[in-house]
Amino acid sequence: MSWIHIIFALILLPAIATGMFRILRGPTAADRMMTAQLFGTCGVAILLLLSAGMNNPVLLDIALVFALLAALATVTFVSRTWRDNNKNNHGNLIQ
Amino acid sequence: MDAIVIYSILTLFDITLVLTMLWLAWYLLSTEDIFKAVVLFISFGLLMALAWVRMRAPDVALAEAALGAGLTGPLFLSALRRMNRTRKGERRLDSNENRGKDHNTEQEQA
Amino acid sequence: MEILYNSGTLLIIMGVPFFWSGTVGLIRFPDIYTRLHALTKADNVGLGCIVCGLALQSGSWTVTAKLLLIWLLVLIASSASCHLIARSAMQKNIKPWMRS
Repeated sequence: MSWIHIIFALILLPAIATGMFRILRGPTAADRMMTAQLFGTCGVAILLLLSAGMNNPVLLDIALVFALLAALATVTFVSRTWRDNNKNNHGNLIQ
Repeated sequence: MDAIVIYSILTLFDITLVLTMLWLAWYLLSTEDIFKAVVLFISFGLLMALAWVRMRAPDVALAEAALGAGLTGPLFLSALRRMNRTRKGERRLDSNENRGKDHNTEQEQA
Repeated sequence: MEILYNSGTLLIIMGVPFFWSGTVGLIRFPDIYTRLHALTKADNVGLGCIVCGLALQSGSWTVTAKLLLIWLLVLIASSASCHLIARSAMQKNIKPWMRS
């Protein structure tokens, strides 16, 4: 148990709460998705600091799972949700 | 003395985590834009995993990380696209893109 | 041993402001491309400093290898997804912000 790691985890946690404003008012859909990705990275950092602070090496595995699955949501968003409008615009340009 | 400092910092961490989760859950349930709700749900899964870690259940946190952030988010996003395709014009992804899209669909119908 | 621990703490102290600057940049910047710029700084440099600091403090090779693997995965994920977002934003004709 070392207090300095837990203090830095505590400092990193309000960064997630502050980034929520961008989700709430972000003008395009990609801004919201980017904020979710920043939350993922912040969560990985908090988990790493907590695993050093609480002397629990199991938390490294949770951070590993987060890092593995971080790209999945954004790639699905770009390839599925955002592409739909794009095809419409392109088709119209050709027409 | 050292243990008291550590436990007070951890209690502060828990209070911040719980307040953030309550705020996020309120906006998640009260928003009308479905895409915003999906993104808030992904963020809520992340904070829920942190909460499971603090409740000393790392196995549940592992399952929450894999399911909440990894599987449910992409599933919701692809379901959103199908919903968008079937009920066109009823949902707004956001105002700027939707304005162009409405214009295009009007052109197509004309 | 003491030198390793203290330099690791110094690296962690260096890494935390990058996350905060990434968050502040995500809120304050005017455009989608500038926000992507702020986001990638937080991902790469901030997490890199924290991972290097924790790896200096860990004292075992397996934990160090796992930490470096986490950093590598986050690097791949963030660069790939930011590239995808920027490219499809360019394809959707979203104009970059100009000081006017």
